[in-house]
Amino acid sequence: MGLLAPAFLAGLLAIGIPIAIHLINRERRVVVQFPSLMFLHKIPYRSIRRQKLRHILLLAMRCLALVLLVAAFARPFLQRHSAGTSSLLGARERVVLVDRSYSMGYSDHWKRALDAARAATRGLAGNDRATIVFFANDPVAATEPTANPARLERAIAAAKLSSEGTRYEPALKLAAQILSASNLPRKEVVMISDFQRVGWGRRDDIQLPSGASMTAVDVGGSSPASDLAVTQVSTDRDRVGERDRVTVTARVTNVGAVARTVDVTLDLGGRAVETKKLTVAPKGVGQARFTPNAVPTSATRGTVRITHDSLPQNDAFNFTLTPGEAVSVLVVQPSKPRANQSLFVSRALAIGDRPAFHVDVKSEDALRAQDFLARSLVVLDEVPPPAGALGAKLRESILAGTGLLVVPGDLASGRWSTEWRPLMPATLGSVIDRTRDAGATVASVDYGHPVFELFSAPRSGDFSTAHLFRYRQLVARGDTGVIARLDDGAPALVEKTVGAGKVLMWASSLDEYWTDLPLQPVFLPFVHALAKYAGRFGDARGWFVAGDVLDLSRHGELTAPFVADAGAGAAGDAPLVLESPSGHRTPLTASGAEHLSTLSEQGFYELRGPGTAAGSGRPIAVNVDPKESDLARFDPNELVAAVTATPGTGAPASGTAAAPSELERGQTIWWYLLVVALLLMAAETVLSNRLSKAEVQSM
Amino acid sequence: MSAETLLDPSVLARIGNLELLARTVVDGFVNGLHRSPHLGSSTDFAEHRSYMPGDDIRGIDWRLFARSDRYYVKQFEAETNTNFVVLLDVSPSMRYRGATEGPGSVGKLDYGIYLAAALTYFSSKQRDRVGLATFDDDIVEYVPPSAKHLRLVLHALERTTTRAEAVAAPEAGKSTRSFTLEEPLKKLSESLRRRSIVLLISDLYEEPDAVISALANVRGRGNDVIIFHLLDRTELDFPFLDATNFVDLETGEKMPVIPEYLRTQYREVVATHTATLARRMQEQRLDYALFDTSKPLDKALFTYLLARERFSTAR
Repeated sequence: MGLLAPAFLAGLLAIGIPIAIHLINRERRVVVQFPSLMFLHKIPYRSIRRQKLRHILLLAMRCLALVLLVAAFARPFLQRHSAGTSSLLGARERVVLVDRSYSMGYSDHWKRALDAARAATRGLAGNDRATIVFFANDPVAATEPTANPARLERAIAAAKLSSEGTRYEPALKLAAQILSASNLPRKEVVMISDFQRVGWGRRDDIQLPSGASMTAVDVGGSSPASDLAVTQVSTDRDRVGERDRVTVTARVTNVGAVARTVDVTLDLGGRAVETKKLTVAPKGVGQARFTPNAVPTSATRGTVRITHDSLPQNDAFNFTLTPGEAVSVLVVQPSKPRANQSLFVSRALAIGDRPAFHVDVKSEDALRAQDFLARSLVVLDEVPPPAGALGAKLRESILAGTGLLVVPGDLASGRWSTEWRPLMPATLGSVIDRTRDAGATVASVDYGHPVFELFSAPRSGDFSTAHLFRYRQLVARGDTGVIARLDDGAPALVEKTVGAGKVLMWASSLDEYWTDLPLQPVFLPFVHALAKYAGRFGDARGWFVAGDVLDLSRHGELTAPFVADAGAGAAGDAPLVLESPSGHRTPLTASGAEHLSTLSEQGFYELRGPGTAAGSGRPIAVNVDPKESDLARFDPNELVAAVTATPGTGAPASGTAAAPSELERGQTIWWYLLVVALLLMAAETVLSNRLSKAEVQSM
Repeated sequence: MSAETLLDPSVLARIGNLELLARTVVDGFVNGLHRSPHLGSSTDFAEHRSYMPGDDIRGIDWRLFARSDRYYVKQFEAETNTNFVVLLDVSPSMRYRGATEGPGSVGKLDYGIYLAAALTYFSSKQRDRVGLATFDDDIVEYVPPSAKHLRLVLHALERTTTRAEAVAAPEAGKSTRSFTLEEPLKKLSESLRRRSIVLLISDLYEEPDAVISALANVRGRGNDVIIFHLLDRTELDFPFLDATNFVDLETGEKMPVIPEYLRTQYREVVATHTATLARRMQEQRLDYALFDTSKPLDKALFTYLLARERFSTAR
């Protein structure tokens, strides 16, 4: 038992008032001389005793009411280890949210957080249950709701810092779910964190279940943080003579209040290449620009690091340097093409540099099987799919991941071999001539599709200005997707996934023969997006941020070497292995069912194909979220007030979760004491009134 | 000054001289009467009755015998000059002065003394022989009845006042005395040689049976007995408010009492007691009257006059 406001115990002196009155009344009955007690003796004595008892009862009620009032104001609480607590006030469902974002590695914050988590689970009584949830970007429940202290302790002992940033919202949502599913009467959340501002969006709308209380345990300390972090690295390429060069520039941020000078070192391929001294102003940013280096011939690991300080996780920044990776496109045109038939598409693709497109234009009669090797995309520009061995080779390439864009034009469908029919996303209908009504327009596009994602924002491209004067009626198959439709509802662009590859079909032409689309501003980005998507080429990224999901189906540049190595026998489901910096291996496929993996560790992952030796795979750099380096904090009470219907009154506990204010707030014994005191007072009033009435009647 | 004022006990309490007090009371009372009191006419003839064996032959009317040859006895009106003896209870309970003690308050003993003085004076004026006996558990002072003892009686009454004030209340458990009527009345009845009018002034804190038994000693000797039962208003109403320790003035016994819860029962017990006394007295043909000491003395005087008139016609 403890008291939150013991000074109120001084109010117990007030008990002296009724006692003094009682004693004074006793003093007044010194003696009354009476002629004879003969008549009084005839009255049964028990009635006298009873009346005396009533007076003593009244005195006791008054004193007890005063004691209860004083006790209520003193705000008592029962210690957690009290065995009777749970049974008295009901069992608790407690969710302990422990922030394990990498900013918790600052100073001794992580150790303090674990200590606070232990304290929060230590005092659980008989029927109480607790759940340990570690959270960074996403929350992970380390235990089921349990009353077993050993399990909770094991979960806490096994906890490790994450490389991810902080997001409070998902953690609170999980806590709300756990509490909502609980049937225990008392619900509590204890959040242990350094309460970084970047983790809490003020518009986050989370509400804990009604009646749930929340305690914020701030382990961030009160002193301002002092930290240097490498928050960004850029690689600028240029060409000097025949050599490609890359210049690495690192951005170093100082969140402290004192200017700091640090050594900034560039590592390439595991070897320190150059070190520079950099002085960063307080609350400022400095840049370290290294000497240009030759672009390596294969994907190479690069790291910019500074001298370790109080938060070592953000003192290194990893990246991958790769040779120029281009999307290889083969445009196949008829043996007798129109003038400039493939000019627009080849020129449009030639402009790109992120990625660069290498476009080869070949006539259908000059086509060879090796032309399909290492191609990301094959465009059949009004050419029927090749038949025979050539066709089979192309189909293999498609199954392995090569994209195919089919532009049927006015080709007769009878020229298509039957082997291709299952791969086509649509069957060909008649040619529609819309020259009389100024042509059709692209009226409906799927902006969620990667091809049109670029145009989803306002004023980022207007397809309605393009006119399709003639187009081929496409009858989409059941398992194909229509990505864009014309104003009469006819499909304009359809796609089908075949193995690891994509097959797309465009209803009109790629030159100005049937449409004026090539003359519109949207043509170039449209063709680029189409080629990148069909060629399975994602944005080549030098690094990922911890917590990102790696989608191999959208990063053909990562899987292309292994798919090519797999050769004709490999397909999209070729087994790949992703090894994390800590050595954990995850089996993946380029585009099959398991093409997703979360990159949660800081450092270099390695993607390997079948037969690839360890260390020879494709490195994938993963860095901590640079936003997390901003150690600015916010008031935990804001969070508590935002997520609880009835925010707590106490200040956040420091260091331990089982703070007296939190205990007292959870138990609210004062409320019961106050109610009992008021009931006693009411009973005393009724009783004394009755006695007074009896007295008046007897007068 | 009106007669009512003169008979007010609180007014009488201011009169230091007891004789003056008695005269004031009697004069004031007599002047207020609507008819003259016919207080006997000495040896007036009343009637004849037949001679019965055992009658004094000196009472035979020989003249009538000569005319009728029969024996008749002459009967006369009763003797006017009778003995008037006041038996005044001066036990500690009679010293009670009520809940509001003060200069103007009249205690039971004072009230009894006023009554005794007034009626003694009154009787003396009627040429009665007056006497006084004060008693508690025994006879304290005795003035035998005589036509010349008015002043002795008045002095004795004054001494009673002084003595009562000098005696302190007994401590709890220390008193072994038993203030009963039986013993003193028995002794007094033995000392009364002539038939007398006996006025008992007491608060009668005794069971009705014991009172009747004690009075039988006096009554059995042919005395006419009048009982004035004095009780203070406080004893009748029990108006106390605070819980207190009540001390018995006679025994010193203490009792914690919460009056507010006992009042009703106390009043019932007192009412039962007085009603029983009145009933039993009537059965014994004793003149009984209950007096509230806060009321004027005229009721007491009327009661006495009625009784005196009745006694005066006795043959």
